[in-house]
Amino acid sequence: MSINISTIATALDQAARHAEPLAQFSTHTPFSLAQAYEIQRVSMQRRYADGERSIGIKLGFTSRAKMQQMGVDSLIWGWLTDAMLEEDGGEVALSRYIHPRAEPEVCFLVGRAIDRPLTLLEAAEHIEAVAPAIEIIDSRYEAFKFSLEDVVADNCSSSGLVVGPWSRNLSGLDNAGVLMRLDGQLAQVGSTAAILGNPLRSVAEASKLVSEAGLSLPAGSLIMAGAATAAEALRPGVHVSVEIAGFGESAFTCR
Amino acid sequence: MHTALIEAAERLSQAQATGQPCKPVRELIARAQVEENAADPVALAYAVQQHNTRLAREQGRRQVGFKVGLTSRSVQQQLGVNQPDFGVLFADMAVGDGQPIAVDAVLQPKVEAEIALVLAHDLDHERHTLADLIRATAFALPAIEVVGSRIAKWDIRLEDTIADNASSGCFVLGSRPVTLEVLDLVRCGMKMTLRGEPVSVGAGAACLDNPLNAAVWLADTMASFGEPLRAGDILLTGALGPMVPAAAGDIFHAEIQGLGGVTAAFAKPQ
Repeated sequence: MSINISTIATALDQAARHAEPLAQFSTHTPFSLAQAYEIQRVSMQRRYADGERSIGIKLGFTSRAKMQQMGVDSLIWGWLTDAMLEEDGGEVALSRYIHPRAEPEVCFLVGRAIDRPLTLLEAAEHIEAVAPAIEIIDSRYEAFKFSLEDVVADNCSSSGLVVGPWSRNLSGLDNAGVLMRLDGQLAQVGSTAAILGNPLRSVAEASKLVSEAGLSLPAGSLIMAGAATAAEALRPGVHVSVEIAGFGESAFTCR
Repeated sequence: MHTALIEAAERLSQAQATGQPCKPVRELIARAQVEENAADPVALAYAVQQHNTRLAREQGRRQVGFKVGLTSRSVQQQLGVNQPDFGVLFADMAVGDGQPIAVDAVLQPKVEAEIALVLAHDLDHERHTLADLIRATAFALPAIEVVGSRIAKWDIRLEDTIADNASSGCFVLGSRPVTLEVLDLVRCGMKMTLRGEPVSVGAGAACLDNPLNAAVWLADTMASFGEPLRAGDILLTGALGPMVPAAAGDIFHAEIQGLGGVTAAFAKPQ
């Protein structure tokens, strides 16, 4: 069966703009992973046409547990735009989201353009700094239910991100404690080791994915390396903070 | 002691001796509770544990410390409880770092990475503070606890695991002592790998928000049992991440930020 890439891309873009959920597509209109990335690309083009600017990428399925849960053996990736940036320590209006969830993450700042597949050793040389971060994911699908292809088409649920203070020293990043608190109460505890055993591996993986797509990441790009723990649902009034041992804290309050 | 409690203790020690997991013991504890008109099944479960501990000591096994269990919120929710439990550690449960663990040494083994504290002083107050624990701690070590259940298919409720010495099996300690002033017990990351793959990750805060909270609870609890913690005791404070089933030939390496590493190596099948 043929699918209409443009129709799905438009529907996903509209759902994101109006914070109105959709039924997943793949159940009635199956499509391939390659087609899913094409839908993602076309959908993002609509946003760029309206003035949004790409600021980097995010990786998903970076933990073994998550891959097994989804029955896949590869990472997925999506685009971050300037419209998704929320202020560290600021207020986040939940009205622009459908059913937002927060995940503790590690964010890298690209110092040297990444325009080819990098080894892990090279990856560190291309990174300028690292920060504790929170990704606000928000599936455009009803009840957060989707297949691998659905979620890729939906730009991997990317919706918002909060980036904390930058550190230039990357040492200790492979196994730093991660504490996510909601209103001060510990909600998730983990380690940066949950991200591919070492978050820096996400940079190497990102370089491969971007290169395979024939693209590059200019200096100044952000790479959200993947979730360090499970996600927590957000509701108005809640204060969310993520602390990464040795790298500081990132936080916001839901409005 | 009620005969049902003695039957429970014997059922568990038989399972260990024969290597055949047994039925849960909660029905036996419930029967003793009804017939003795006792208020607290937890106290009866500890009576079962202490019966077997007493026998072990009489056989000449040397007690070297305690483990605290049920220290993570998710495990407490699973069992519907809001406090930890404890079990007794004996010298013959200690396995050398990287030394082979016989597959049949522990029934239905699972591993979890923990922070071990070794005491320099007795803790014999009725109530203890965090400061008491910090002053009494000689040093911390990274540890892998191998838990096991004498009860078939880990079909346990709170009373079962308490009676079963808190599902303890054996334990492996790392060998570089670290004092508490240079260790962030709350924020230290934990990564346990199997063939390089992270199979369990977490941080110090996963253990009752702070592993020292588990140690304070244990010190108070042991004082209330009239067996206060003593200098030299090893305290396994509780898991920093989810526990993982272990199979013959598996070699788990746990790394705790600021504490270093420790290896639990299960012997290959013959």
